[in-house]
Amino acid sequence: MSYPINVRDLAAGTTVVLLSGAEAEIVDNPKDGVWLFARYLKSPGDPALVGQEEMIFAQDVVDTRP
Amino acid sequence: MAMNGTNGYRPGLVDLSTGQISREIFVNDDIYAQEQERVFARSWLFVGHESQIPNPGDFFVSRMGEESVILCRDRAGAVHVFLNSCRHRGMKVCRYDDGNTTVFTCPYHGWSYGTDGALVGVPYFREAYHSALDKSKWGLVEVAQLACYKGTVWANWDAGAPPFLEYLGEFRRFLDLILDGWDGREGQAELLGGVQKWLIPCNWKFPAENFSGDSYHNISHRSVDLVGVGPSGKSRRDYNELNVARKLHVAIADRGHQTITYLLPKDHQPQPAYQNSPEVAEYFRHCEEERRKRPGANARLIGAPGEIFPNVALLPRQPRTIAVWHPKSAHQTEVWRFFFVDRDAPQAVKNFLRDYYIRYSGPAGMTEQDDMENWNYAHAASRGVIARRHPYTYEMGLGHAVEDYEFEGFRMPGRVIDITSIQASEEPMRNLYGRWAQFMEADSWDELMSWRRNSPVQAEAAK
Repeated sequence: MSYPINVRDLAAGTTVVLLSGAEAEIVDNPKDGVWLFARYLKSPGDPALVGQEEMIFAQDVVDTRP
Repeated sequence: MAMNGTNGYRPGLVDLSTGQISREIFVNDDIYAQEQERVFARSWLFVGHESQIPNPGDFFVSRMGEESVILCRDRAGAVHVFLNSCRHRGMKVCRYDDGNTTVFTCPYHGWSYGTDGALVGVPYFREAYHSALDKSKWGLVEVAQLACYKGTVWANWDAGAPPFLEYLGEFRRFLDLILDGWDGREGQAELLGGVQKWLIPCNWKFPAENFSGDSYHNISHRSVDLVGVGPSGKSRRDYNELNVARKLHVAIADRGHQTITYLLPKDHQPQPAYQNSPEVAEYFRHCEEERRKRPGANARLIGAPGEIFPNVALLPRQPRTIAVWHPKSAHQTEVWRFFFVDRDAPQAVKNFLRDYYIRYSGPAGMTEQDDMENWNYAHAASRGVIARRHPYTYEMGLGHAVEDYEFEGFRMPGRVIDITSIQASEEPMRNLYGRWAQFMEADSWDELMSWRRNSPVQAEAAK
């Protein structure tokens, strides 16, 4: 199990990897430690999400890509 | 001898025919619980000032009665007031005093709300809720009515209450005295610094009564007068106008608002004031000159302590401040004091006034300390079973108010007692408690708007 990621530290432009295997690019960070505003780049389980902007829950974030 | 009742409010505790008021209304926990519903959940309450939230996303956490509320400006610039409580399990969604944000996020389970109150983030919405939760039904609870008046923000939980300006009635002119510029321009007030907040061990009605216009307690401030904390180095305020003005108690009977005010004679010339600083003295002399070029309805009025029902105190002049007496329990009040200056005043004037204001008011203010000592000990000495058997008297000046007061062509609204020579009356307090009793007994706002019954035209216009 990986260590939890402090989403407060993630800058706009960062790509996050989600529990579902999807990847999304951060467009805004309210820095509340709970949510990120991000746009889906990949979503193998639900391809319809790609391109959509959604709020990402911190506990769904499992990794980041530079 | 009658035993104390253990139940809540009942008619007769406030007896305006004899001027006697039971101590129960100050110390009884059941009455306190009832007044949260009957008074605070139905009255217009002061929430803050727009200068506290100038930009989209700005927020200021305020209070309405016992409850925490968020005053905020949404991304589109609209002002809102929300209950600061998550719709899922009630946790506060904002635990800062003020700031700027894109969302209010509950730290308990992570529900998140936009600055317009909409529920925007629900953890595991797709997975655990199966996308079935109707987010549109679970936004933050918003007040039923909101009013922004010359920068001040007021809110009301009751959709049946009259609009704010109708609630104020003729008292609007006394609120204008604090919100308009000293030179007579409309709505020039700006909040100075932060909000002073502190707890005092007394019922909220003790300070509300005092600021309704208690000129009888000046002896309490004798030591401050002797020290000379005032802006001219004497007494605690500049009093030169009193040599020529009429000092009045004004009570707006059907609204529950009341104040002291000074009514100047025609062609009154400005008196020396703020003599501790030539720059400040010159600023106010200039403002007085300008004010005379704008002879509005208030040109001959000087503000003094007053109270907007139920818990908002005004001091329009020295110091220029609004205080809110937030109820915490029957036996504790949280005081919030907001200080104001003219927005366009030179910085040196603002600095001078800040020093004077905090020397006078707030937890460290010398005059406020005098008052708090009285309220705190009066409350404590009224809680015992023996003390509660004996009512307070409010009969000073009973039957001496007039409704057609006029001085040199200025007709004053409301019930008025001229206290220029007699020094004091308790008409303002009777007005406060009379209105309080009406709220405690009325089941809806329909019973509280006697003016609409008396004026069908106004009632129709209000629709």
